[in-house]
Amino acid sequence: MNTSRAEAARRRRFDRIVAVFHADMYRYAAWLCRDKAIAEDVVQEALLRAWKSLDALREEAAAKQWLLTIVRRENARYFERRRLETVDIDNLTASQEALLAEAPNEELEALRESIYELDDDYREPLVLQVLMGYSTTEIGELMGLKQGAVLTRLHRARLKLKEKVADDERS
Amino acid sequence: MSPVTELMNCEEYREIISADPAFDGAAGHLAACHECQEFRRDMQSLNLKIAKAMQINVPELKLPELPEIETENVVPLAVRKPVSKPAWFALAATVLLAAFIGVRMFGVSVHYDSLGEEVLAHLDHEPAALSVSSTPVTARRLERVVPADVAELDHSAGLITYARSCEINGKTVPHLVIQGEHGPVTILLMPEEAVAAAVALDGDNVHGVVLPVGAGSIAIIGARQEKLERIEKSVLKSVKWST
Repeated sequence: MNTSRAEAARRRRFDRIVAVFHADMYRYAAWLCRDKAIAEDVVQEALLRAWKSLDALREEAAAKQWLLTIVRRENARYFERRRLETVDIDNLTASQEALLAEAPNEELEALRESIYELDDDYREPLVLQVLMGYSTTEIGELMGLKQGAVLTRLHRARLKLKEKVADDERS
Repeated sequence: MSPVTELMNCEEYREIISADPAFDGAAGHLAACHECQEFRRDMQSLNLKIAKAMQINVPELKLPELPEIETENVVPLAVRKPVSKPAWFALAATVLLAAFIGVRMFGVSVHYDSLGEEVLAHLDHEPAALSVSSTPVTARRLERVVPADVAELDHSAGLITYARSCEINGKTVPHLVIQGEHGPVTILLMPEEAVAAAVALDGDNVHGVVLPVGAGSIAIIGARQEKLERIEKSVLKSVKWST
């Protein structure tokens, strides 16, 4: 295969993968950083990095996890560079509120705020499990944790949310 | 169902179901415990609400400006698994590097009692080699570091993110790094360093092995939690001495 054909094939492969997984990349970034604008920046950086290292991806079946790993790393880099404080849930900006897709619903809104309030350590495995459909083993691989640690975090995350929902219902 | 999950008590069952509401084990316990049935229903209902709450608007895809890639210079490499970033590893390497530079500055020559000791000490000389990366080295660089008259690589060992010529026991050897499941894994190709049998390496936070390969040897070192057996097999399969 000559160079131009190889380049075109590479580009087609990249476009195909990104078309399938862009939404997952954005959703994951958005729930990691909790800010629409930052999530877009993180995804842009992740796409650039994915393009540069596309040849490292041998199996298309591994593309989703590969891309999410890049997003995760870019998110960490972003906050390292900017040294941003984590988002204060009491001061949600218009950008953050614009993240939300569902129509206003008091119960859902309260639950979202509770998810936002979860520590990153608890929120991230929950997003990976509920939104991305990952098993606890896959979450462990992606986060560099043992499966037991993932189970503990998920258990604690749901108990916190359950308590919060019960409190809201009581009040 | 496994006997273990069948023997669960209420606390254990609830811990599992709250970690994974789709868990369908421990049917025996569940059938006999109404409280756990209710807890399960609550958790599954909560999970549906969480899934709904997590839905967000996704903006239209806008690709960044993509730089040109020299496709003929990019090495085809195996897919890597996600890794965690062992920051302590780089920090420890930096501290040891500083110590080494200090020793060198005062003109004290360093002697190693064994090849294994020198290999472990060498890791601390190049902290840059221990950074987590997903960017492969180019074919051109790899060819410079691993010339065809030294060894042939078929690139199946993994994503090579670092390649440099280094000195071990007075001889220039290729120093490569691939990304393992728990961080960077160092590979030193030593075609002229014969060992009679595999030598286990046990360093601070790292472990590895020097494997006899023909008239030479290959050292493979990773983080302590890294399982090296699979990597050893693929490295042995992918490297062939030219001499």
